This record gives sequence, C-alpha cells and structure tokens, in this order.
Amino acid sequence: MKTEPLIDSAFLEKLERLAIRWQKSFPGLVGGHNISRFAGPGQEFLDHRQFHHGDDLRAVNWRAYLRLEKLFLKMFQVEPRIPVRILLDCSNSMTTGAVSKFDYARKLAAALCYVGLVRLDTICIQPFGQDLGDSFLCGGGRHRFIPAVKFLEALKPGGRTNYFQIARDFIAGYPQRGLLIVISDFLDDAGCERPLQYLADFGHELILVQVWADEDRAPAWDGLLDLTDAETGETLEIGFDDAARVNYTQAFDAHARDIQRVGLRNSGRYVGLSTATTIEEAVFGPLARAGGLE
Amino acid sequence: MFLFNLSLPEFLAILGSLSGLTVALYLLDRTRKNHTVATLRFFAAAEKPPVLKHRRKLQQPWSLLLQLISLLLLLLAIAQLRLGSPARYSRDHVLILDDSAWMASRFGNARSGNARLIDQARLAADSYVNALPSADRVMVVRADVLATPALLFESDRKKIHLAIDQTQPGAAPLNLQQALDFAAQAQRVQAQRPGEIVFVGAGRVSSEQAARLAAPANFRWIGIDGPTEHVGLRKVSVHRAMDDPDVWEVFIAAKNYGAVARSIPLVVAFGGSPVATRRFELKPAAEEDLTFRFKTRAAGWLEARLSTQDTFRQDSRAILELPARGALPVTIYSSEPDLLRPIFTAIPGIEAKFLPVSSYQADARAAPGAASGIVLLDHFAPPSPPTAQSIWLEPPADRSPVPVQSTQQKARLNQWQADHPLGAGLRARDIELASAQIFRPALGDIVVARSDAGPLIVARPGNPKIVVLGFHPVRSGMKFQLTTPLLFANIIRWMAPDAFRSWELTAGTVGTVDVELESEIDPNAIRVQTEEGRSLPFTVEGKNLRFFTGAPGVVRVLTGDRELVYSLTLPQPGDTVWKPSNVKLGLPPRAPLGPTSRDLWHWLAIAGAIGLLVDWILYGRIDRRMRAARGAGAGAAGWSSWRKAS
Repeated sequence: MKTEPLIDSAFLEKLERLAIRWQKSFPGLVGGHNISRFAGPGQEFLDHRQFHHGDDLRAVNWRAYLRLEKLFLKMFQVEPRIPVRILLDCSNSMTTGAVSKFDYARKLAAALCYVGLVRLDTICIQPFGQDLGDSFLCGGGRHRFIPAVKFLEALKPGGRTNYFQIARDFIAGYPQRGLLIVISDFLDDAGCERPLQYLADFGHELILVQVWADEDRAPAWDGLLDLTDAETGETLEIGFDDAARVNYTQAFDAHARDIQRVGLRNSGRYVGLSTATTIEEAVFGPLARAGGLE
Repeated sequence: MFLFNLSLPEFLAILGSLSGLTVALYLLDRTRKNHTVATLRFFAAAEKPPVLKHRRKLQQPWSLLLQLISLLLLLLAIAQLRLGSPARYSRDHVLILDDSAWMASRFGNARSGNARLIDQARLAADSYVNALPSADRVMVVRADVLATPALLFESDRKKIHLAIDQTQPGAAPLNLQQALDFAAQAQRVQAQRPGEIVFVGAGRVSSEQAARLAAPANFRWIGIDGPTEHVGLRKVSVHRAMDDPDVWEVFIAAKNYGAVARSIPLVVAFGGSPVATRRFELKPAAEEDLTFRFKTRAAGWLEARLSTQDTFRQDSRAILELPARGALPVTIYSSEPDLLRPIFTAIPGIEAKFLPVSSYQADARAAPGAASGIVLLDHFAPPSPPTAQSIWLEPPADRSPVPVQSTQQKARLNQWQADHPLGAGLRARDIELASAQIFRPALGDIVVARSDAGPLIVARPGNPKIVVLGFHPVRSGMKFQLTTPLLFANIIRWMAPDAFRSWELTAGTVGTVDVELESEIDPNAIRVQTEEGRSLPFTVEGKNLRFFTGAPGVVRVLTGDRELVYSLTLPQPGDTVWKPSNVKLGLPPRAPLGPTSRDLWHWLAIAGAIGLLVDWILYGRIDRRMRAARGAGAGAAGWSSWRKAS
C-alpha cells in the first residue's frame, strides 16, 4: 500500500526561501550564513585592536601604521558553520490523538531538514524515546534530502519518554554546542523542564516545538471514562464533564507555559503547535514568528 | 389471532416490564468508554469520583425503537402467537401402545396374512393419530412391564407414525396400571391442554392387576382381539439335590390361559436327550406342575418344551444352562497318608491326592499325579513354599510360615474363633494335645484356635492363603471328634468357596423378581448382576431379596456360597383381558377439515433476532469497531454523531 509522502514538492519550493536562524554565537568552521560575534577569518570588517606579538601580520592595517606609526590589527566578522540537531520524540505518547502527533512531528522535522540543507547547514536528526536512537546526519545541499526523508519514514514509535536519560546521553554524545530543535509533546511524568535546562546550560540553543492533538488539550469525552496511559499502561477511571474539562485544559496550559518558560529564559524559542494546524501554516506562521526561521 | 402460552394481561404485563427496563437502561448511561491517552497527569488534576450519568433525552431513538420492536417480536414468539380461532386449541394426547410379549401372537386367516397383534395395533394407532386434528400433539408410550415414552408430545405426524411403526413386541408382560399412571402424570406435568389417554393393544393382564385397574376419565380403549386359547410354561426351576450333589431336581409349571381344557405333552431334554416326559391335562385357567430328578455331573442345556400349536409360542419352550459339577483337587504330601485319608474322603466336592514327601514340587500342578487347588504339608516344610493355597500340619519350627513361639507339652485347646468362617460350628473345648506349637501371628493373621499359652491354629489371608496347625489333629485327642472333619471343611471352604457353591437355576419372566434367601445376609455380601457383569440394584428385606429387570436375559444372584441364576425369558402373558367400562371405545370420528391455527413463533423469533442484529450492527459495538478500523482520521467527526453510548 502506497503511503502518503511526508512532504510534497510544492511545499518544498516554498521552503527554499527560508533559513534556520539562531541567536547565540557558536565557534565553528567558516562557511555558514549566521553572523557570529566572534572575530575570525571572515570577509566583513568588524573592528581594530592593538597589535600583539604573535598576531598575523597579514591582518595589520599598514595604511594606519604609515599615518600613525602604530601597529593596528584589522578584525573580521566570522560566519561559522554550526550543527543543527533535531531531537524527534518517537515515544508512544506521540501516537495518541485523532491525528497522529508522530506523523506531524516527522513532517515538521522533514521541513526543517530541507530548510537547513538548502542553506548548506549540517542537520542531524536524532530520534528518541526511552534512549537516543540511531541518528541520521546529512549536509551539503538539497540533494541529500531524500535519504533524510527515507530515514524519517522508517521510524517507528514505541516506548516511553525519559528526558533525563536523553539529556544525559545527548550531552555526552554531542560535545559541540549548536542549535537544538526539540519536537515533542514534552509529556514525561518525571518532568522535562530540568533536563531541558541542563541542555541549555551546556550551551545549546533550544528551539522547543511542542506538538499536541486537540484531545490532548481539551478531551471531548463525557461520562465515565476508563483511561489508559499510552506509555506506562496505567489506567484511571474517572467521571469527566465540562468542569473537569476546564480543569484539565488549565493543567495542560500550565504545563505548556512551563516548557515555554524554559525555552525563553535560556535565549531559546518556544513554539506550540496543534496537529490541527497544517505544517505549512506552522512553518510560515508560529515558527517564523518565533524567529526559528526567517 | 390468539396467544397460546400467555394470556393477554400476562403478555402485556411482561412486555410493559421489559420495555420499561429497556428504556431505563437506555437512559441510564452506565457504559464506560475506554480511551488511550498520552498521559494521565492532567486527568489527575481534573479527577472526580465516577458518577452515573443519566440521559435526559433519547440520543438514538431509532435504536431504542428497534430494540423495543425486537423485544415485542421475541415475546410474541415465546407466547406462541397463532393465527386462527381459539376454538381450535390443540390438545395433548397420550397414546399407550401395548408392546408386551403377547402382542407377538399371530391370528391366522387368509385375509390378515397371519399377521401379528402388534401389526394390527400399529394400524389402529396410526388410524387414531390420523383422526386427530392436525394441531393436536401426541405422546407415544410403549407399555410392557415398564412404560417407556417413545416420543414426547409432538404434532409432527411423520415423527408420530415413525414412533408407532418402530414399536415391536418385547418379552415382558403388560403392566397397564403403571402405563396409565405414567400417562396421567405426563399430561399433568407436560401437557398444555390435556387430551385423551388412549390404549391400543390386547390388554392382557394378570387377574390381580385387572381387579385393581381403574380407567381415568379421559380414557379411550382401542382393543386388539387376539387368540383366546393358549397354554404356556409358567416356571422352570432347577437346583442340586440336598442328598446328592450330582443330582438335579427339576420343577416345571404350565398354565392353560384359555377357556377350553387342553391336553399338552411336555418333553424335557438335557443335551438333546430326553430326561423326562409328561402330558399335562389342563383344565381352563388351571396350572399344573411337574417335579423330577436326574443325575449328571456334566454341563449342558436343559430344555423344557410344550408341544402345542398355539399362535403364541414364546412361552412354550424354556432352556436353562446347567453348569458342570467339578471336584476341588487337594494334594496331600504326607509320609503317613492313612491317617488323613478318612478325613478327606469324607468331605464331598473334593478330590484328594496323596503323594510322598519326596515328590513335592512348589507348583502343585507340576508334581506327577498332582493337580492344582490346595496343598497339604504334613510334618514337612519344603525348600520352596507352594504356589497354591496350603495347609501346614506341625511344620518344622525353624521353617514354619508363621513363626513358632514355643512348643508346649500337654497343651489344652480351649477357644475357637467362632465368629470367623474358619471357626464356624466348631465347639469342642478342653481338647488336650500331647504336644503343640504355639505361634506368633503377624499383623493381619487370623487366630482360629488358641490355648492359654497362645495361638494353635493361624490362618494367613492373601494370595495364596495359608493355614498352619500347630498340632496333628488325628494324632491328638481330636481324632474321634466331629470337629476334625469340620475344621478341614471350613479351611477348604475358606480357601476355595466356589467348590461348595450351590446352584439354583430358574426360568421366569422379566420384571420384579423376588428371591427367598436361606438366612439374613449382609446386603454388602450380595451381588446381583447381569450376564455382562453389570450390577443391578436390589433391595433386601429380611430373607427376601427383590430386584427388577426390564429386559430379557440372565441375572445372577450371588449370596456367599449360593448362586441363583435367573433366565428371564419366559414372557408369562396375563391370564385375563381387561375390559374397561364407561370409557370411550374404538377410533374417534375424524376431525373436521377446516382452517386451523397457524404457528407464527418461528417467524416472530427470526424477525426479533434480525432486529437485534441490525441494531447491533448499526448502533452497537460492531459499529464502533468498524469506525476504529477505518482510522481515527477521516470522518471521525461525521461518525461521532451516530455513536451509541449504551
């Protein structure tokens, strides 16, 4: 049976004018498109400073020396190539809802991957659940997009989320700081705020994309409910009505605000997306407005 | 249109109750909905105790309507709604068809083709069934000594005719009272509207039974006339004579069932050879008997035959199988055989063989001239013990099967185990023994006789059985006592009870059999079993044992050393034909042809079931499963409006 493609070509054409943006300055190789506040071997002039012993003589401003008889060194702005990593939640909680959050997250990851490849960024797709799964690294242009799509299509949801374990493994496995886009529902009973804080403290810039289904935020059910947790299998028997729904939604929104607070206070960004929002609307709307893309 | 099972108020009450219950259940939403959610953490904040939610309005009125209609249809089916007039109520009749042995009689004439009575009875029964309204139900009961239902109340004429046509004469006499009681009980318990109790048959019963019979009010008699003149054997009994076990005493009784005096010769043959002849001069309704003796040890068939030309011949001949009389071999190894010879030649039923000690072999059958059975070892302990049952007289102390405790001089035998078969009838006391061994019995051993010092005679049950005597009875003071042969007879009877079993064979009729016992016997020691070894239930009241069998065959009654064999093959027809008075006689007039009521319950039940199935498919769980299979994506909102909550 032929499955629906993750992303269609018309949408890809629209994505070509976008670029992934980050706010922090990271050390990296020359060749990127985001300006760094670090000086280095760039093309754009940044500033002058006093010459010190050992500086490169090629950067000495000889015209200033002839006029002032002092050695000044020209500094240039560097545009480094920074790794962009996409953490994709593949736990069982992503499978609930009328529209699968997992499919939605995969499409969103594919779109971001294409945007990064077009700008010659290096993209690492890192699925996770209980642990970090096998990652997929691509870079060097849009022609590397098809393998990335195949990788995303081959992913299967399963297991439960453990953000502490993920943060610990990620910090150990990726020592180079960079942009970290987390696409998840951020539903970990142990809490995900502190692990996200650890990732930010390590030096990564976070873009937190929270995906939810409408049932996750405001369940439409009434009466006696037998509920089963998709990840833990725990069950709960409750009576549910309009008042309970209001309480539920308030609790969910509070959780979303906690996630947003973690993102924003670490100079990162937060985007909350319902699966009812189309990928195109999400990319050109909330994601672009948050500054993740421009 | 009318209701068959329920009256209209009953029907409306049940329908109202069930409908109200259905609506109440419908409005009371008790169904829990199962959902899988991403997390339970937010539900904990919204959690409240589960409460039942009552609906205020009908969400699926078509579903409820469909359920109520289906319920109505099913209830109508249970009530057996019928189309037609209530005047055409069907009735339930019990047809008692005589299948006693007498129904095998033939009434010969050219027109009937020498047919049997049962053939005529079946024709009459078929005619009776055909004369009934088609809606009437009939139960077919076959009556001989037992009333056996062949078909429960049934309106299907094919099944009724099949049950009638499959009826064959049995081997038992007719017990009409029991059949009438059974029919009345069946109508009380199972019939919806009792009809007639109809008897079709010859109605030949015993005169005692005829005097007690009372016809019920709804009784119809369809008599089948058969032959009136008949002579038959009533009883044949054979047992061994008390004075000579090789002689059989034979008792034969014959009866004239007719109204004309008859002279009938009787021939008794054993193994094909005549052993007695007699001509019975039988007056009307008279019974005569014959008793004679004949001697044989061989087994064979004893046949008693009346030379008659009657059309009913089942009781003109009786055959009994007589068993052979065998002698129990007793092998005596003794160096002084003359001492023991008078004792063992005085015991009937055994064949004593005296052999020297030197010819002993453990397997008694292997010894030259010896036979299996019982081995007696006189002052002798063989190197290997005998494999057969054995009697040991004063065995050597070191090789006795029962350990010898001591040897006492001038011992005095002063106690017998009188409550055990080994000591039964032994009363001699204070017998002085010059020398006797005192035994040390093991657990389970039986002390038959003892002195003050200890056991003198010990029996050991098991296989093989062993009896050890600590003295030689012939050498001691017991030599001239009657106790000595009785003791050995008791020992041999205990070891081989079959050797002394008395036989009694009787040819009789099936039904209840009364057996006169010689003494009051523990019922646990009695066995009543068929030829195939199947046990029959029986009762014992004093000296009277009673059992019942409904099928012809051989029944054995074993009471200790007595075996009674009943060959229950003589049919013993009744000696009178019951003629009921003040009852309907003959076939009824054929029911008028007209519109009869029609059963609708089949169609109502099918329609109700289809209604429930459609409701289940459209509104029930299958609908939810289909929706789940189609995926939660497309059309979920559209389906939700059709979702059934109850």
